[in-house]
Amino acid sequence: MSVNGNRLDRYAELAVRVGANVQPGQQVFVHPMVEHAELGRALVRQAYKAGASYVHVVYRDDHVRHAMIGLGPDSALTYSPSWAKRLMLSEAGNASLGTTGRPEPELLADLDGERVGRAIQLELAEISQQQHRDSSVNWCGVGAPNEGWAKQVLGEPDVERLWELVSFCMRLDEPDPVEAWREHMARLDARAESLTALRPDAIRYRGPGTDLTVGLLPTARWGSARFRTNGGIDYVANMPTEEIFTTPDSRRAEGTIRSSLPLVLNGQIIRGLQLTFEDGRIVGVDAEQGADLVRSQIDTVENADRLGELALVTNESRVGQSGTLFFDTLFDENATCHIAYGMGLPYSFDGQLDERSNVCNVHVDFMVGGPELEVDAVLPDGSEVPLIREEEWQLAT
Amino acid sequence: MDDRLERYAELVVRVGANVQPGQEVFILAAVEHHDLARALTRQAYRAGASYVHVVYGDAHAKRARIELGPDEALGYSPEWVKELVRSSSGNAMIATTGDPQPDLLADLDGERVGRDVQREIWEIRLQQLSDNSVNWVGVGAPSEGWAKQVFGEPDVERLWEKVAFCMRLDEPDPVEAWREHLARLAERTERLNELRPDALRYRGPGTDLTVGLLPNVRWMSGASETPTGISYVANMPTEEVFTSPDATRTEGTIRMTLPLPLSGQIIRGLELTFEGGRAVGVEAETGADLVRGHFETIENADRLGEVALVTKESRVGQSGTVFYDALYDENATCHIAYGAGLPFLVDGEPGEGFNVANMHVDFMVGGPELEIDAVLKDGTAVPLIRNEEWQLA
Repeated sequence: MSVNGNRLDRYAELAVRVGANVQPGQQVFVHPMVEHAELGRALVRQAYKAGASYVHVVYRDDHVRHAMIGLGPDSALTYSPSWAKRLMLSEAGNASLGTTGRPEPELLADLDGERVGRAIQLELAEISQQQHRDSSVNWCGVGAPNEGWAKQVLGEPDVERLWELVSFCMRLDEPDPVEAWREHMARLDARAESLTALRPDAIRYRGPGTDLTVGLLPTARWGSARFRTNGGIDYVANMPTEEIFTTPDSRRAEGTIRSSLPLVLNGQIIRGLQLTFEDGRIVGVDAEQGADLVRSQIDTVENADRLGELALVTNESRVGQSGTLFFDTLFDENATCHIAYGMGLPYSFDGQLDERSNVCNVHVDFMVGGPELEVDAVLPDGSEVPLIREEEWQLAT
Repeated sequence: MDDRLERYAELVVRVGANVQPGQEVFILAAVEHHDLARALTRQAYRAGASYVHVVYGDAHAKRARIELGPDEALGYSPEWVKELVRSSSGNAMIATTGDPQPDLLADLDGERVGRDVQREIWEIRLQQLSDNSVNWVGVGAPSEGWAKQVFGEPDVERLWEKVAFCMRLDEPDPVEAWREHLARLAERTERLNELRPDALRYRGPGTDLTVGLLPNVRWMSGASETPTGISYVANMPTEEVFTSPDATRTEGTIRMTLPLPLSGQIIRGLELTFEGGRAVGVEAETGADLVRGHFETIENADRLGEVALVTKESRVGQSGTVFYDALYDENATCHIAYGAGLPFLVDGEPGEGFNVANMHVDFMVGGPELEIDAVLKDGTAVPLIRNEEWQLA
């Protein structure tokens, strides 16, 4: 086997063993894009080696989506086929692996942004959210380097260079990547615990173009991307992951926040997004590019105009250290602090899901962090505790 | 956008599946066939499809399953796939063929390869074929791997030219050319249905086989029609006139004349001997184990399900090319299939002699030296094919 083949298999093994943590006897659902076939196949092999009873491979194809949005009738845009619902329901109690890294990031850019924004398979989105609430699937998303993605990131289709960057972010350069991941997740979990114990009433963001205060719920829990299913299986849902996050009180956001990195959304690139909030709702959307798509989502998807996630990332981040803009949320959201509008995360609470957590069929992360961003915890008595200065963690763990 | 690819996809959508406005369209393609699948998707929406489902298969996943998976994974039919196939009833389906990795499974245990047949999914498909409830078509998708298999080098452009020739895409009006072609095959079909032979007799090098025919099973060719009146062409290209035989009355020996890729292996020089309708002898230069595996593990795979007649007007035959793909090669020359009979050919209840099985494997037996006669009830023999030419007026 070639050195590269070996890297591919070690990468897939890490995603299967540490990420999804596939258990013997589980079925595994692999969802690569067509252009990710090589990694998809490596994931299948590793899943069987981990004892999977059956591995389903379900390819996604952006060109099929392009044809649907560009040429299909209105009814096609939100249709959830019965077989796709059955497929998703079969994932409960089983493991799932998804891949990111779009081979043609701007493929959908020539389409009507309003139709692109409306194209959400609503019933499938609801099943997916229910599974998140139930924690019934041990799943993991990983990047799949390809020429188009490499061109986007590096200006040339240097897939090998992209693989090196991805391997660095994935800690594949460590002598024992599994052990390196264990230490890394323990560090993030310690931060999350100390912040949860502080019980802030709000988070305040200050920086260039940004002054935003977001309320938190008393039941809010901060966590890392290490989760446990209702069947007791620990898994890491995103690889890489560098964030600790929570779901805010969707009724309390005031002020303005500016995105600090471009965001790929539905095949378009959003740049310079600036959102203004009043009473928890987005009342102003500005952007250098792609504002229409965001407005369309906010107008057509219920509660897309409320926040669903706050996430804190510091300069220990391997993604941040790589100095690379990946044009992919999985990576870029781990480069720096981010916020998401749309769906709240069901696992961010002690006990029951809080009704003030946002219920919505989309969840869009955008990056707001940078050296000049100051993040404070605002306590119930109004005092402020610094959390992040110059991308460094301030709170003792 | 590649003009030939779009015209090809349009022909497949309009003449093959004959997608109707408002129908859903199910495209089943190997992941290596994504260029064609995408063109088919565009053309299906242009034809008025309400939704186009594209489901990619991957032989590498099958390989991993056979090589690394547990026994129970072999032949497992996932619920969602059954639901997918069921939802195609009343709708259109397009499946692609042309194996991009013909030797991928060759080094695996033939017995495990033979066992990995998704029987429950097959049963749903067979029921749909019996109900004629899906307007569907199978078409070739040129790829590097397929081109390498055909030419010894990955010359995809040359394969595209061959495929376009067989598909009559070189005609000024391919849709009209297909109409004439299908009419010619329909005439032959009518003549055979009038003649009502009691049996067929095959004679040639290594071959002397008599196959009984059933009185309530029709001959058929080219175009089919759903109960709702949608006319479609299930195979493109198609050059054959075919029926399902009396599976209890096959006697003698028949030798294959073209290689057959099957489950990632290549079967060459297959020679089957029949007694009382069942295969009692399996010989082959390569791949005999795989065929024996089918006969041993799948009920009634050892009986015949189809006989098909093809003459030298065939565009596939004229191309002088072995495509290593059943869709093409079965249209180059006469063939026979072991396994399931074709239920849509049966008038009334299928009798004892009509074969029911969870697989259907075509293999080619035609060539310049093969003689085929129709044997009538009174024992007289009527020549059907000599020298690859049609004999029946």
